[in-house]
Amino acid sequence: MKIGTAKHSYQADEALLTTRPQRLWMGLFALGLCIAPFMLDNYWLYLACLVAINVASATGLNILTGYTGLVSLGQAAFMAVGAYTVGWMQLRLGTPFLLNIVAGGIVAAAVGLLVGLPSLRVKGLYLAIATIAASIILHFVFVNWQSVTNGNSGLTLTPATFLGTPLTDYKQLYFVFVPITALMVLGAANLFRTRVGRAFIAIRDRDISAEVLGISLLRYKLTSFAISSFYAGVAGGMWAYFFRVVTPESFPFVYSIFFLAAIIVGGMGTILGAILGAVFMTLVPELLRFGIDWLTPVLPNAAAMLSPVRTIVFGLLIVGFLIFEPKGLAEIVQRTRRYFHLWPFKK
Amino acid sequence: MLSFTRRTLLALSASAAIATALPAAAADDIVIGGSIPLTGVFAFAGVGIEAGMQDYIKIVNEAGGLQGRKLRLAYEDTGYKVDASVAAFNKLTSQNTIHLYYGDSTGFAKTINGELDRMGTTIMAGASFATELNDPKAFQYQFMAGPDYSEMTGILLEYIAKEKPGARIVLVNSDTEFGRDPIAATKARASELGLEVVEEIITPPTAVDVSTEVLKLRRARPDYTIFHGYVLAPLPEFMTQAKQLGLETKFMGTFWSMDASIWSKVGEAADGFMGVMPYRYYYDEADNAPMLDRIREMRPEYQSTPYMQGFLTAMLFTEAAKRTLEAGQELNAPNLKAALNSIENFDTGGIIGVPISIPGNSIPVGRIYRYDASAQQMLPASDWISVQE
Repeated sequence: MKIGTAKHSYQADEALLTTRPQRLWMGLFALGLCIAPFMLDNYWLYLACLVAINVASATGLNILTGYTGLVSLGQAAFMAVGAYTVGWMQLRLGTPFLLNIVAGGIVAAAVGLLVGLPSLRVKGLYLAIATIAASIILHFVFVNWQSVTNGNSGLTLTPATFLGTPLTDYKQLYFVFVPITALMVLGAANLFRTRVGRAFIAIRDRDISAEVLGISLLRYKLTSFAISSFYAGVAGGMWAYFFRVVTPESFPFVYSIFFLAAIIVGGMGTILGAILGAVFMTLVPELLRFGIDWLTPVLPNAAAMLSPVRTIVFGLLIVGFLIFEPKGLAEIVQRTRRYFHLWPFKK
Repeated sequence: MLSFTRRTLLALSASAAIATALPAAAADDIVIGGSIPLTGVFAFAGVGIEAGMQDYIKIVNEAGGLQGRKLRLAYEDTGYKVDASVAAFNKLTSQNTIHLYYGDSTGFAKTINGELDRMGTTIMAGASFATELNDPKAFQYQFMAGPDYSEMTGILLEYIAKEKPGARIVLVNSDTEFGRDPIAATKARASELGLEVVEEIITPPTAVDVSTEVLKLRRARPDYTIFHGYVLAPLPEFMTQAKQLGLETKFMGTFWSMDASIWSKVGEAADGFMGVMPYRYYYDEADNAPMLDRIREMRPEYQSTPYMQGFLTAMLFTEAAKRTLEAGQELNAPNLKAALNSIENFDTGGIIGVPISIPGNSIPVGRIYRYDASAQQMLPASDWISVQE
């Protein structure tokens, strides 16, 4: 039983992983991520790449909504900005893919700054509507800025290349996407050990009090929008290299709701929450397919009959989590950790 | 010591029952994979497509299969989302050896194209008739079981040019990739045929209030109004308002808005709606259509136009595989596509009213049908029209 963690320095106090079990589990997790591509088939590798992209974007939205308290329904549009930037740079400039992805993040951040301007005057549902409006404007731009976006037909990318090797299969893309996402998650975790991150939390908790404390709302709200959009832009860039076709319909409005649902289900305002939420929202619909596979031998045409049921079960799971675990999946992990802290003396 | 509760025993026996009831899938089955939308906005089509494919596969298997090998459809629901379609593709191709695949959308067809090229094992057809896909160089392992959208409007224009030379036309398209697809080609073809496109109207895909657009229609006074990029809405609203304003324009549509059962729910306002249809309707009792007789035998109730599309796609997949096997060749994408392209003057059993050839990625044949509200059926308004060059 662990009864406490003695910290002997400020450095130890600020560490992301404070205990030996935490470091051990994280090490095992990192090791698992490294060996996973050699164990998984194409289907699971595809899902792993998709999870990595969604985790990056959900983490970005969590910075804005979970930590700064600014509700956004524009995450898909910011991803689209990143994806189009990557597509345009690759097709027109032929620049290296890593540079394109970073540029996608930067352009999305710039757009995010603009979209974030209304957040100085409105918040809550009003801000959500403002971000929806921004999404609609951006969609109009994607459809009509023919010379850059190729209109409704969109952009078809060639595969990213690394040292002359085209990254065409999912294993190769996994080794690009997962490290990028890991860096982004690490960046987000570190952000909240800095003045900037703590300013975001102060704004979320009470913006007027934060301003009284000397936190510039203009600066920090826009910074939060820019960082969140940067994350979305990078995720969109990875998405573009993953699917290799970017059209105005690639990032529908419902995709923004997907990310908002992910951070709510996972747990808003926690790094782990965005990860778990993105994993849940991406994988559960796929895992439910196996339920149908399992029933296929006894129920011919199970896929045709039960697919609507699969959608309903997924919806019920989300509602169930909201009712029974409003703090999200991250809270379940915390509770499990607390249980083992005191094990075997407390059930 | 091990102890079993009654509940555990029940669970174990149920598992054993399921395990012993595993499908009798033979290793040499020819598997047709499918990313099919059984939920979401396109579910109405997916359900029909799946039924059509299953029925044709059943017919082939009952006749002994292909060189003794059974056909099997392995499919997953996609909800008409590209990422789910790609996931289904990866899942199914990881679990089965698949040489024939049905895709559910233009987005998926474009996304998976690189993977099809890389694999070189599988050809694909699907629900998309996008003009862009009708390019055998760029989409070398894909095809469509009908005319592409530009060819569909081309068939409509051929009909119009014959019925009313120099007619005035308005194009109404949804503001989607699907909707805008044939606009440029339609205008070019109309000009070649001496027809005048007097107005272009773009609406949201499921627009409700179309009064402004109907006023544009009134100003343009067209002889024909061609819709594309919709399934139903807002077509009935357009037609109702236009009739109220006394407009005498004839309304036309393309394949996805041509299902008779959809229009039968609209009622009297649907009367006279015309459009291009690449296949015969379920209830067509033409003499030279034994496949339609067989379909009616298998399913006594009306089957939708997507059913016909799925049925014909399965037929073409089977024909390509049959020709490849008969030539003693390996089932792979180059051989299957070459076999498909060798199809010439092929009898579809009456699904299409004329013999078909597939030299490229499409079958540019169709017929104009007109909806008769009293009969609640789409009835032929023309003979079969080919726009094959």
